[in-house]
Amino acid sequence: MKARFIVAAVLAAMLGVAAATASGGTSKGQADKIVVWLQNDAQSGWPEAVALANRNFKAQHPGVDVDVQYQTWGTHLQKFDAGLAGGDAPDVIELGNSEMTKYMAAGAFKTLTQSAFPNNKTWLQGLKSSCQYNGKLYGVPYYAGARAVIYRKDQYKAAGIKSTPKSLAQFMADSKKLMKKYGKDSAYSAIYLPGKYWYAAISFVYDFGGQIAVRQGGKWKGTLNTPRALAGLNQVARIAKTLTRASKTTDEATPQQSLVFSKGKVGSFIGNGWEWPYALDEKLGNPALAPVVGAYPMPSHTPGKIMPGFLGGSDLAVPVTTKNQSLAVDWIKAFTSTAAESEIAKAGNIANTTSLLAYNASNPKLAPFARAAKSSWFVPTSPNWANVENANVLQDMLVKIFTGRASVKAAANTASSQITRILNTGA
Amino acid sequence: MTSGTQIAPTPVAPIIPRKLGRRRRVHKLGWNLLGLLVLAVMVFPVYWMVATAFKPGQQILSYTPHWIPRPPTLSNFRDAINQPFFWDAVRNSLIVVTTVVALSVVLAFLASLALAKFHFYGRKAFIVLILGVQMVPLAALIIPLYIMMSRLGQVDKLTGVIAMYLTFVLPFTVWTMRGFLLGIPKELEEAAMVDGATRFGAFVRVLLPLVGPGLVATSIFAFIQAWNEFLIAYVFLHTPEKQTLMVWLASFTTLRGTNWGPLMAGATLCALPVVFFFLLVQRRIAFGLTAGAVRG
Amino acid sequence: MTSAAESEFPLASRRRRRFTRQRIGHAAAPYALLAPTAIAIGVILGYPLYLLVKMSFEKYGLFELIRHKGRWVGTANYAHILHDGQFWHVLLRTIVFTVVNVTLTMVLGTAIALLLLQVSRWLRVALTTGLVLVWSVPVIVAVDIWRWMVDYEFGVLNWTLTKLHIGNFIRHDWFANPWTGFAVITALIVWGAIPFVTITVYASLAQVPQELLEAAAIDGAKPLAVFREVTLPLLTPILVILTSLSIIWDFQVFQQIWVILDFRPTSDYYTMAIYAFHQSFQISEYGLGAAIAVVMVLFMFLATLVYLRQMLRTGEVQ
Repeated sequence: MKARFIVAAVLAAMLGVAAATASGGTSKGQADKIVVWLQNDAQSGWPEAVALANRNFKAQHPGVDVDVQYQTWGTHLQKFDAGLAGGDAPDVIELGNSEMTKYMAAGAFKTLTQSAFPNNKTWLQGLKSSCQYNGKLYGVPYYAGARAVIYRKDQYKAAGIKSTPKSLAQFMADSKKLMKKYGKDSAYSAIYLPGKYWYAAISFVYDFGGQIAVRQGGKWKGTLNTPRALAGLNQVARIAKTLTRASKTTDEATPQQSLVFSKGKVGSFIGNGWEWPYALDEKLGNPALAPVVGAYPMPSHTPGKIMPGFLGGSDLAVPVTTKNQSLAVDWIKAFTSTAAESEIAKAGNIANTTSLLAYNASNPKLAPFARAAKSSWFVPTSPNWANVENANVLQDMLVKIFTGRASVKAAANTASSQITRILNTGA
Repeated sequence: MTSGTQIAPTPVAPIIPRKLGRRRRVHKLGWNLLGLLVLAVMVFPVYWMVATAFKPGQQILSYTPHWIPRPPTLSNFRDAINQPFFWDAVRNSLIVVTTVVALSVVLAFLASLALAKFHFYGRKAFIVLILGVQMVPLAALIIPLYIMMSRLGQVDKLTGVIAMYLTFVLPFTVWTMRGFLLGIPKELEEAAMVDGATRFGAFVRVLLPLVGPGLVATSIFAFIQAWNEFLIAYVFLHTPEKQTLMVWLASFTTLRGTNWGPLMAGATLCALPVVFFFLLVQRRIAFGLTAGAVRG
Repeated sequence: MTSAAESEFPLASRRRRRFTRQRIGHAAAPYALLAPTAIAIGVILGYPLYLLVKMSFEKYGLFELIRHKGRWVGTANYAHILHDGQFWHVLLRTIVFTVVNVTLTMVLGTAIALLLLQVSRWLRVALTTGLVLVWSVPVIVAVDIWRWMVDYEFGVLNWTLTKLHIGNFIRHDWFANPWTGFAVITALIVWGAIPFVTITVYASLAQVPQELLEAAAIDGAKPLAVFREVTLPLLTPILVILTSLSIIWDFQVFQQIWVILDFRPTSDYYTMAIYAFHQSFQISEYGLGAAIAVVMVLFMFLATLVYLRQMLRTGEVQ
């Protein structure tokens, strides 16, 4: 008897749930709210910019709420895919600039009119090209990060290095001096360069005029095994063998390289603007190092020039599923206004417009990165590029070189053929 | 055997005479030492997590490990609790978990009764189905699940998440409860049924206490599964007010790396309810507390 | 000596024959008991599973996802997987990995459960609480902790091993070599899996009535024989179930390997779940992902077939 009672009760409960869900209609179509997906870097890094954008947007549209939902980098694309599949993706979404092409090619975003957005004539070229596909604009540059060499002024001085190097050859020679002075400590690195830190390593390739891949007659060809690219990779191999004690199989984030730097056994490392204050963080870093830390753009092998750096960054786009396109566009305008972008720049990033580079340039802590941002490279703009990144082709190649498991040439050959194959899938 | 007596589970103890002889005491010491070693090895990573939660940031990444935080600091815990939406996440996780545990234990007990004590058409098929469902990788199901849940209007709703958790927890709980039920010797069952009670009444009064330990073990499992699940909660819960603790924990990792101190503090906080729940229910798994069974 | 799904008692059966209504009610009992569970699982999983199988026969990339419509390609996805040389390497690696992990988990888990019987009461409580502590740590956090314990630069493991003069492990990279890398991963997984096995087996042991054990002891049987003749047969159902579950879970291991290799495992670390993720979700090819999932399920079915037959036979009515 009791059994049937329990069973009936549970069944009723489930039916109740089903009924409730059936009657619960969606509130789509009512323009009283827009949903924005930003990565959680904004939440912890530049919340003032978000607050500013929301205030200005609300002033423009008093009846509309803005729901900013913060995402994590690891699984945000799966969540976005699910949203697209279910037809309820957000109205505005932030995507990494190397993630954009894949989604643009699939028709995931609405086309945008460039002239509608603030500072559009001075958008950073590197970011702008990541928002364009087949001649149309599908996104708005949000912010970028440039890398420079962050170094220990006191260690340079003690090793007899009088001024920051102006050429790659000088940089190598200087680093050798550092190793001579401090290298007896088995933990010391003149330049901390982990094996999977491809943003830094591939910059050497571009400095010598090489590229990851080129487009010839409608098809892509991996070009890491060309003589120019190999010249760059050989320099990286030299660093790996003689100038660094960093792990050959991890990347620059685990452990966070600026924090390793703060422990005192690193002469220099290649980092973003925010990594300088991070090394001095009072909770995690070493604030006592403040007077002896400086930065300079990585010099090119051509004396007097700067090595091109990878322009990492994010863009903002409007998914094609939105019902509030004009509201979404207005919010993006508010978030990429000069005022908001200034807040973002203050946090150690490069704003999306060259007009604000001067802002960074006036701050000695940000100036080297602003200078470095002027010379940049970007990944091949193929919809299949994301697959190359996900297949870890570049990391595999570098790890093989760093661990000595393959010669530079052999590793580059394998990588190039993999890149050729992956970029041309479905072509 | 007297009728109408509740047969309580009796604790299993090593068969040793009342007074420990010297040889037995040495044996016992040996076992205890081994037990301590096992405890130390198993618990060390958890100790490391809790110790890290109390360490100031500089001591966390250190060339020489700091075994004991000196001085211990509460700043990581403060940072963790101040991370936005902590209390919302606590509330949501508690709601989801208590519902899932309660429903799954009840449903699993009923279903496993059917599978273990009855012979009926479709039994084998159902067993195979229960096992098969657990073989489907969750990541593969996310998109189809989302499509369906979206049509039912269950995206960004705790009820949707509860329903999905129930679905993933049930096959396991049914499966395990069946094992516990099968592990009860037939004699005990038969002995209890002699007084002619109705079948189901007998089940509840007799079998329920006998599988007490099994129910507890499965409820712990259901609790932990629901408490620690991330992927479904992250994909299906959008507004931060609705998110669970696991999604909240993920917010400690940004492009700038992971904030270890507060993350470990947050993780420690998240582990506490599980431990409390366990301490609450662990008595049913016979820890040597005699239940005073009266047997004829 | 397994307990059977005994449905007839001499006394009750005579009464039942007289009451037809009771008989129908009795026959419906198992279905009524099963119904809530079946409905819960069926409603939530039925349609998605159907969609999954359907997607495995379709090209369902990002393009199709946005338009909510896949393109039928028949068995092309399956052919693609089965002709991929890497697939077979990964399958073999996953099988070996699963066997090692399941064996270690079951042996160590059961051993510790038996150990629990032998230790003093206070230690028993401490151990079980400790095990639940381990169990309660979310997988992501557990992997983070292990990642740091074996870190190249700051890991406590390297420091400890060197201090114990086991060798020079300073700046030893555990993941440079897949063998040592998988050793770490196996330790992590077995560590995380032991609490569940131990507590479940211990609960099962707790159900073994004192009387049976005492009776056997009085008959003069030695402890080992008592274990083999009395305890083990009662434990067998739960051991079989735990093993089958461990096989299913270890075959699908993803998060531990993914996170401990900083979200970017190299191909020599691929197991089936990572391979599936890499081949499909990372590049938004959900049709291919569905096909791989189906293949994985079929394979796991095959692997657990032996146990399946055992389990179906256990509890068989005569």
